[in-house]
Formats: sequence, C-alpha cells, structure tokens
Amino acid sequence: MKLPVVRIQRFCMHDGPGIRTTVFLKGCPLRCKWCHNPEMQKIEQEMFYTPSKCIHCRMCMICKNNAHVFTSQGHFYDRSKCRLCGNCAAMCPGKALETVCRMMDLDEIILEVMQDAAFYGKNGGITISGGEPMMHPVETIALLKAAKEKNLNTAIETSGYFDKEFLPVLCKYTDTFLWDFKDSDNARHIENTGVSNEQIIENLLIADKLKANIILRCILINTINFTKDHIKEIAALYKKLNHCTKVKFFSYHPMGSSKLERLGCSNNGKTEWMVSEKDINWAKSEFLRNLEAE
Amino acid sequence: MEFFTAYKEPRPVRLPEMTRTFAYESLHYKYGRDTWENQAVSLDHIPNFDQLSTLEKYNAAIFEIASNAPIRVCENELISGAATLGAAIKHMVPATYNGKLLFDSVSHLTLGFDNVLKFGVNDIKKRINKSLSNQTNKKNIETLKSMLHCINCLEIWHGRYIEALSRSKKYAGNLKNLQNVPFQPATSFYEAVQSLWFTFAFTRLCGNWPGIGRIDAMLGPYLKKDLAQGIITIQQAREVLAHFFIKGCEWVRGGDYEGGDAQHYQNIILSGVDENGEDITNEVTYLVLDIIEELGISDFPITVRVNKNTEITLLKRMAEVIRHGGGIVAVYNEDLILDALTDFGYDLKEARTFANDGCWEMQIPGKTCFSYAPFDALKLLQDATLAGYDKNKTCFDTYEGLYQKFLEDLKEAVENIYKECSYDSEYWNLRAETPCSVVSLFTEECIERGLSYFDGGAKYYVISPHIGGLPDVVNSLYAIRRLVFEEKKVTFPGFMDILKNNWEGYEPLRQYVLNHYEYFGNDNDEVDRIAVQLLDDFSDICQSLNGRSIILYPAGVSTFGRQIQWAPERMASPHGRKKGDVLAGNLSPTPGTDLKGATAVIKSYCKANMKKLVSGAALDINLFPTTVYDNEGIEAIIGLIQGFVKLGGFFMQLDVVDNNILKQAQVHPENFPTLSVRVSGWNARFVTLNKEWQDMIIQRVSKENA
Ligand code: SF4
Ligand code: SF4
Repeated sequence: MKLPVVRIQRFCMHDGPGIRTTVFLKGCPLRCKWCHNPEMQKIEQEMFYTPSKCIHCRMCMICKNNAHVFTSQGHFYDRSKCRLCGNCAAMCPGKALETVCRMMDLDEIILEVMQDAAFYGKNGGITISGGEPMMHPVETIALLKAAKEKNLNTAIETSGYFDKEFLPVLCKYTDTFLWDFKDSDNARHIENTGVSNEQIIENLLIADKLKANIILRCILINTINFTKDHIKEIAALYKKLNHCTKVKFFSYHPMGSSKLERLGCSNNGKTEWMVSEKDINWAKSEFLRNLEAE
Repeated sequence: MEFFTAYKEPRPVRLPEMTRTFAYESLHYKYGRDTWENQAVSLDHIPNFDQLSTLEKYNAAIFEIASNAPIRVCENELISGAATLGAAIKHMVPATYNGKLLFDSVSHLTLGFDNVLKFGVNDIKKRINKSLSNQTNKKNIETLKSMLHCINCLEIWHGRYIEALSRSKKYAGNLKNLQNVPFQPATSFYEAVQSLWFTFAFTRLCGNWPGIGRIDAMLGPYLKKDLAQGIITIQQAREVLAHFFIKGCEWVRGGDYEGGDAQHYQNIILSGVDENGEDITNEVTYLVLDIIEELGISDFPITVRVNKNTEITLLKRMAEVIRHGGGIVAVYNEDLILDALTDFGYDLKEARTFANDGCWEMQIPGKTCFSYAPFDALKLLQDATLAGYDKNKTCFDTYEGLYQKFLEDLKEAVENIYKECSYDSEYWNLRAETPCSVVSLFTEECIERGLSYFDGGAKYYVISPHIGGLPDVVNSLYAIRRLVFEEKKVTFPGFMDILKNNWEGYEPLRQYVLNHYEYFGNDNDEVDRIAVQLLDDFSDICQSLNGRSIILYPAGVSTFGRQIQWAPERMASPHGRKKGDVLAGNLSPTPGTDLKGATAVIKSYCKANMKKLVSGAALDINLFPTTVYDNEGIEAIIGLIQGFVKLGGFFMQLDVVDNNILKQAQVHPENFPTLSVRVSGWNARFVTLNKEWQDMIIQRVSKENA
C-alpha cells in the first residue's frame, strides 16, 4: 500500500501533544481560497518551479517532451508539455525544479516516523495531515493502525469531509483529532471551500459519539469568517460535543501564496485576510463569553 | 525594569524591587565599567624588585593587590567582596612593574571551594604548616610559604572589607556575616554563600578564572538545616543567593570584544548524584533556576547533570528557564559521562564529583590541572591529505585509501600535540615555573606534596587533544565518496582542480553537491557512519598517548569560536563551500545543512560512541521562539532533553534564538544591551560580539527554523 507523501516533518510541536512527526499527504476534496498547503490539494503529482533558484545550467533540457525552453528571455517551463516524470527535477542542481510528492510504502513511512521514537515519550507520536488524509481512507487508516502497533500516539488533522462509514474504524486507531472547522455559515463555506459543511458537522458529532478526543482548530480570516456570529456558532457547536478538549483559534497566514506561484498558479492570497494577535484574543474571550451565556 | 526574554511573556517577578534594581544596574555595566577603570596595582615602589625571584615577585603582587585594590561595597548588597581590578578581566595577575603586567593567571579549572565552606581557610593554613614541618626541599618550602603568604593576603583583604562595612550601620548584617568566614567553617546558609563568594572573588581579584562547580551540592545542606530550624525563609534564601549571581556580573563592561562581553568561566553545575550515587538535587538547585529565570543573568553558564532518573519537575523548571533564551542552561548526560570517566580510569566515587573547566570539558574539581590542544581537522584534510588540492601530489583510487591517509595524518597531528605539550616539554617546563599559589591553595594535594598547581601539585594533569571542524571533514569525505567514487561525476584529479579554483566555473556542480546530498545532522546513516568511525578512530589515537607519562590525554571535540579564525585559512571544501565560509562549530552540523530539525541533529550527533570522548563533545541546538510557546513548548524541550539522554549524548547547549531579533540587534545595538546568546561553553551579550561572531550565531540558527 502506498501513499502520496509531500513531506514528513519531524520535531513538530503544535500538531497534537508532545513531540511529533507529521506526515503530509497529497489530495483534498476542499478548495479553500486561503489554503496554506495548496500543493496538497490535487491528488496528482505536480511540479514546483522556483525561478529564483534557477542558475540556467540547462540540465533540464534532458526532457524528452521539450517542456524546458531557453530563449534570450531566459528559461521557460511549459507545464502543458510536462508529463511529470520527474527526470528534470532529479538533475536540477539547485532544486529549482522539484516534484511535489513521492509515493511511499506504509512501511517506509513508519520507518521514518520511528526515527524519532526516542523523543516521543508518552504523549508524542505521529500526526497525519495534508491535504485531507481521508482522501485515502483505506491507506490512512492502515497507517494509523500500523503506528498504533508501534505504540505511537496517533493524531489526524482533518477537514472532517469524508465518508462517515469510515468513522468507527478511524476512531479506533486515532488518539487525537485535529478537526479543522472552517466556517459555520454554510453558504460561505460552499463559496469559499467548494463544499458544504453539513457532512463535516455530521461527522464531527458522530466522532464525538464515538468518544473521539477532538481538538477543534478554527482558522480566522478577516473579511470572511472573522465575525461575532461565527464565534457564537463555534461555541454552540462546542457545547454539543462531549469529547472536545480544546478549541484553538489561529490566523490565516499568507505562507501558502508563494507556493501557489511555484505551482504555476496565480497568487490569490490576501494579506488583509490576516487577523492580529489581539483579534485572536478577542475571539477567545468572545468564545468564552458565549459559553457562559446560557 | 525589564529583563530581556525571547519568550512572549515577561520573566516572572519573585525578588524584591531593591534586588532587581541591583541586578539591572549590574547587568548594565555599572560595576564592570568601574572595574575596568582601575586596571592594576603597581609594584614600582618595591626596592630592588628586579632582583627578586619569580615567586617573590608574585608574592609581592598578591600582597599589593590585597592591600591596595579598591574596595567596593555596592548599595544594598547582602554579600561582600569584589574583584575590582580590570587587568584580571584580561586573564592576568593585575599588578604591573614599569607599566607591564607580569604574570599570566589560571583558568580552565574548578577549584575545591567545598573544602573552604566545610573546613574554613584556617584549616588550609593548618595543613600548610603541617606539611611545612615535613618538607626539607627548599623549593617545596618556598612554595608552601608562598601559599601561607597568600592566606595572609586574604586576611588583609578581608580586614579591609570588615573595616569598610563597619563604617555604616546599614551593613551591620553583612559585617556580622563576614566576620568568621571564609576562615572558619560556615555555620549557616547565609555564611556559606558569603564564604563561597568571598573566596571566589579573591581568586578572581588575583586574576584567575575558576569555575564554581556544584553550587547546590555545596550550599544545599546549609539551607536544609536553616529551613528546618526556621533560621531563614525560602524567600530570604532566594534573595541572598540572588546577590551571589548579581555580584557575578561585576566584570561585564559594555563595548565589543572577541568572544563577547561576559564573565568567562564562572560555570556552575546543578543536580546529579553525590559520591555515593544519591541524588543531590535540593532547594538550592531550584533557587538557582528561579533566580536566572527572573533576572536573565547569563554570566554563570549553568549545566544540569541529567540522568535517567531526573525528576520531571526539574526538567520542567529547566525548560521554563531555557525558553526565555540567553542560553543559560545546558545539559550533561550524567549516566554517560560517569561511564566515560570510569572507563577512562577514574575511580567511580571521584568521577561522581565531576564538574567542568569553565566551558564543558569534564574534570574532577579541585584536583585537576587541565589544558586542551585544539586543531583544525578540515585544514589537515585539505593541506596534508589532499596536498592543498594539488592533483600532482595526491590521487586516490578508492574512498578507503583516502580515509586511511587521512587517519595517518590525524595520527601525526595528535602525536605532534603530544610532543609539543608532553611532560618535560618546553611548554610543560615553562608553565611549571608560572607562580600560582592562590590556585594551589584550593587544589587538593598541592599542600601535602609541597608543589604548586602547575608544577606537580595537582592530582591529575590533563591535556586534551580537541578535534575541530570534524563535521566538515565528514561532509567533505562524504561528498568526495559520492561524487568521485560512486557517481563518478568527476575524476579525482578533476575535482582537485575544481576545489583549488574555489569552484570557479562549476556552479552547477557546486549547487548539486549542496542540494542533492544530505550531510551530517540529518539522521542519515550513510553519512553519519563516517562521523562515528572518525570519532572512534580519533579517540583511539588519543587513548594511545595515555600511560606514557603522568599526563592524561582524553579526546575531545570543540571549536568554541575558532571556526571564525580558521575560515580564511581554509580552502574551498568538497561539500560545496567556498573559501572563507564559516563552517561547523563544535560537533554541530555545518550551518545551513541541517534540514530536518533538532531531533535529527541530536540523533546524528548521538550515533557516535560518546563514551570514548572523555573530554566531551558539545552540540548546539537553537530553537525558534514560537516552537517553545505554551505548554507544548515545555513538552518539546523536555522531550529533547530526555531523548538526548536516552540516545547517549554528552553535552547539549539549548538556546532559543530569534534570527529577526538578532538582526535587529545588529542594526540597533542600543535597544538590546543585555540580549544574551550561547556562544560556546559560555554566554555573551550579543551586541558586544564583533560582526563576524554575530554573523556566526545568526548562521548557526538552523535553516529549518529561519
Ligand atoms: S518532469 Fe519530465 S516531462 Fe516534465 S519537464 Fe521534467 S523531464 Fe519533462
Ligand atoms: S536544471 Fe534547474 S537550474 Fe538548470 S536550467 Fe533547469 S531549472 Fe534551471
């Protein structure tokens, strides 16, 4: 069994308890406009091209499809001709060309995750993120199961948008759900992510019934969901949950934007979407206020 | 009044305002500048000075210092005594004749202050007199008499403080507390702190830079007793001890110096086991952490001896201090170090008392005369093994052949160290003549043997060969192996030419080597194995020097800051670096090559058989402030420390550094006068480092975190 792995990041601290290793998978059913990891949206292979790293050595001309053209204007990479075989990336000296993911066996992933076993202690372990790991439900669940067999603490970061049939077995192998809750207003949710939030909320409630340990992660985006109503709805949702241990607010960050350019897309990130530290604190207190107000 | 922190929240406040003000002023150079203004006492008035023997001149210098060094009693201080002569900051005995400083002083040692607390200086005097009655050799008698003379000088200096304190009623408490110590054994915690400080300050006043050692082991029992009897509260104890730390900033003076403005070498060791293997962690351990957490005083580099049984409460407190930045608290893996020391031949009981030389090299405190001999292994590879990249003088058909030749060159380098500093060498004999009676007083067996610290009095003589640039040698060998022998992208002679020409015209190849290979520090077995093998071979070579004379030769790894001065001497390196680049420090990865974060760095480092590196190998880990936010940050630091110990690391300096802040501080030093960073074995105020050193610190912050 194989998974498309974009990155395995060691020494992660904020993806669940303790020191963790986070496995980022490619593929996501949502298309959030503010996506932090746009290279993990499409399930297919893609190519990063970073012109600033190109030293014009022309090694990439080995491409059989002539996707790399050199003119007096410089290096032009014609994505329409590229078949994503990765041959040019393997040659490119400065990694100006880089394939986004590689297919990895589950064993191989576990082996790499176990490299940091000495640091996990009781709490730390593996976090599977993406993308939406549940784009690959069978493999993701198998990976979680394999991690459990190694006595690792397991966490999954999910949008919650997946077939609910998988929840019982998913909960069985998952110690912590980092549940990304994007918007409580369904019309806005559809407009900005491309999908409805109904399935997400339903799954969340089912997971809670299954006693899943849940951390709600709420992104705040100025001019989109940074509203009193949204915070109020989060509080209302939280009240329905019996096993949600934490609600975390964090700001949109334009770090996904530069990656979009490297994927050959236009940068649609907006700095005005960011909220300040103060806004986050406001959201926290507003949330608490709503909890207390019965 | 704010004390700098890299953390998002301010440092906690526990001490009274008065003490905090004292700390603030001290950290902002108030006393350091004063010290710097009075450089030295003069010996010009002594008749026929030229005709005196070296030892007599030294005796005169100590007498003059004790009698005439300025006396300083700081406003509101709780303990007294001050090293007020500026030349001591230059590592010299601060006494001049015809405008010249005469004697170098002593560092790289931790003195036996515990004996002073327990038995008092009068007991030392008694021992000297007893030894005198047994000696017949004239030199030995003179040596012992000089030691007695130094005690007399200490008495003179003490008398001057007693007199100064009695001038104002305000200091009645200090006066009473200083009355009997350090001559009598300390009877209370307060007296013990004063006794330790006064003795330490006297040795510093005379120019020496001793480490302090296991402060909690020394002071803890006094505090325990006083707390039980209700003589002192924990708040009072914290305040008294805080004054010890504040007074320890008396040499920081602002301005930039190589290696930074700092009180070098006054290292402190916390926690760990006693001679019988019992945990000594006590109230003082925690008070020390409280104090530096609050005041951010970085001038006593602290290393905590962590073992597999260390309480999580202690680890948590360490983590809380570490996340404020300043690089104050480092970690020793006690279990491993005890194994290393006993394997090397030290008796277990003695090994358990270990402290350091003021950086991090292990030693048995109060019994050891230590020095180290650093050399640049990367330069050795480039100049000797690869003959300055002259393709006509060097060519290898296999990687093994290359490695064997490097080992031969390494062996020769270590043998040269042996020849140059061995017993009876010029170095040895010259050093033996350097008078050092103040230090001999607090070194076990000097008295009984009637010999000085440098001249056979100490129980252990140690010269540690220190290999520097090792990660770069490993990376160089690895790049050659891959590029020339495995991938055959270039021929050996061809590659020599490329390197000789500093990669000129071969940028794509250089980029390839930089970006397509994983180097030491990424937990990649293929390259790490070279490091393991090289360290093993190096320690074996050093081990072969032991037994030839009374000198011990434990292997060590360090550069401290030497990677800066070495940079212009080195040629381009095979792993893609150009001439003049500042490369790896200590046993840390080459800057910019650690792409997998702190845990991978620790793992690469820990693969080496550290037990054989008896003198130690330091690993520098820099964390980005946001990584250590909140409880997760505490967990992360604890996890790193526990992992480090579990994996068999030796010594780790953890710092929290924000590159942006460092860059701001370069532009606006005036806004960051006390921002301190771990340099290497010591901490210094960032803005007082010169540009090259500042850049080195900035580069060192892992690429991943930048
Ligand atoms: S990935 Fe393959 S097809 Fe695409 S540009 Fe590179 S070599 Fe050509
Ligand atoms: S191989 Fe890489 S560096 Fe060379 S021209 Fe192509 S993209 Fe640029």
